[in-house]
Amino acid sequence: MFGRVRGAMADAAETLRRAFAGLTVVTVVPEPFHVGSRRGKLLAVNPRPGLDLLAAMGRGTRLFHDGVPCQVLPPFEAKLQAEAGWAHWGTEAEVVRMTPLEPGRAARITVPPLPRQARTLGRVEPPACPGTRRIADPLVPPGTRRLDPRLTEVNALAGLEAILGLPIPIRAEDIQRLPKGLWMRYSLQLVRGTGENVRNLEVLGLFRIPRKGVSDLRHDPRQSRILIRLEASSVRAPREPFILARRKDDGALLSCFVEGS
Amino acid sequence: MAESIKLAYFMAVKEGASYLGGLLVTDTSGIPLDFRYTEPITPTHLQSILYGKSLEPHLKEEVIQKTLLKELKTPPDLFILSATELAGGWSGDAKCPVLAVQKSQETPLVKVGTTFRAGPRDILLQLAEGAAPLRVMFAASVDAAAQEQAMAKLLEAGYHMDLTEPLERVTVALQSLVVKGS
Repeated sequence: MFGRVRGAMADAAETLRRAFAGLTVVTVVPEPFHVGSRRGKLLAVNPRPGLDLLAAMGRGTRLFHDGVPCQVLPPFEAKLQAEAGWAHWGTEAEVVRMTPLEPGRAARITVPPLPRQARTLGRVEPPACPGTRRIADPLVPPGTRRLDPRLTEVNALAGLEAILGLPIPIRAEDIQRLPKGLWMRYSLQLVRGTGENVRNLEVLGLFRIPRKGVSDLRHDPRQSRILIRLEASSVRAPREPFILARRKDDGALLSCFVEGS
Repeated sequence: MAESIKLAYFMAVKEGASYLGGLLVTDTSGIPLDFRYTEPITPTHLQSILYGKSLEPHLKEEVIQKTLLKELKTPPDLFILSATELAGGWSGDAKCPVLAVQKSQETPLVKVGTTFRAGPRDILLQLAEGAAPLRVMFAASVDAAAQEQAMAKLLEAGYHMDLTEPLERVTVALQSLVVKGS
């Protein structure tokens, strides 16, 4: 029993001996501590053009003329991979001795100033620069106009001659209303004036018409009136009793002015 | 007395787009004593729009009638116009009674010279034996007393002449003047 323990102890001691047999002391010289000054990257403005130039890109679309495209897989290549770490892994150990830090060495970091003005790069002018024009002429204020709506006065013209040429109806007076003596006198004047026998005369009417200026005279038996046309001289002429009569034997018309009352 | 009565007949007509009027003064026999007429008045399109419906009354009463009345040397005894013009509301300023005469279809009155008052401004007047009476319409400005005086003058004139006929004569004369002018 004790022999087995003794053997195990011996194996363990041998193992430890072998493990620490080739122990080498390595002195590690510490690298000086440098505080490196690193310059910061300058602030830079990366200008981008405001307007990208219009560029036409032709994109072609390949139509499936030659069949369906497919991805060609690369051929498999055999490659020998080995891990050498396991071979180097051993039982050696390294003792690293660290030197203490040395004070007093430092570097000053200077901060570069910021740029005062940003540079613009790659400025692209617009493709067209429309000019502005100013219309110098102001709008003229509208003027007001006055239109007199009053109708203009007209002139009155004398047209007596024009109306005298129109037929003027003259109504016969009612003989029955005349005094009998006056009518007897008119009858006598009619006989004298025409030279006809009173029995051969038919009185058509007694009318008062201008003594002169009568240019035309027509009898209207249906309405017991005469239609006369006058001339300008008739206006101031006195109105006189005028007897119109018809001769019984031949129907001829006879007339004469008789003396006024 | 009858010789002194002067009747003024006024008529305004529209020929195309023009207006013109005439004033005929006659004695009691219907014989013309004076006749005046206006030149044709053609209102502009704008005037027609601005005046609207009052254009025609304004032209006839204010322009044509006044112009013609100013031309008369002596005022007439009666100012007679068509019944249509009077019914439209005559507002002229004639210094004599304004009235319209119209033949009626009424039954004859008892005797010549009889009057029948059909309304405040409407009177029937019998002028001839057996004939239909004459209808006389007065303007609103003529009072009853003036109407009576006017009726007496109408009766006197109606004995010698047809009181409605001169208006037709004025119309014919105006139409002939328009034809001559054109």
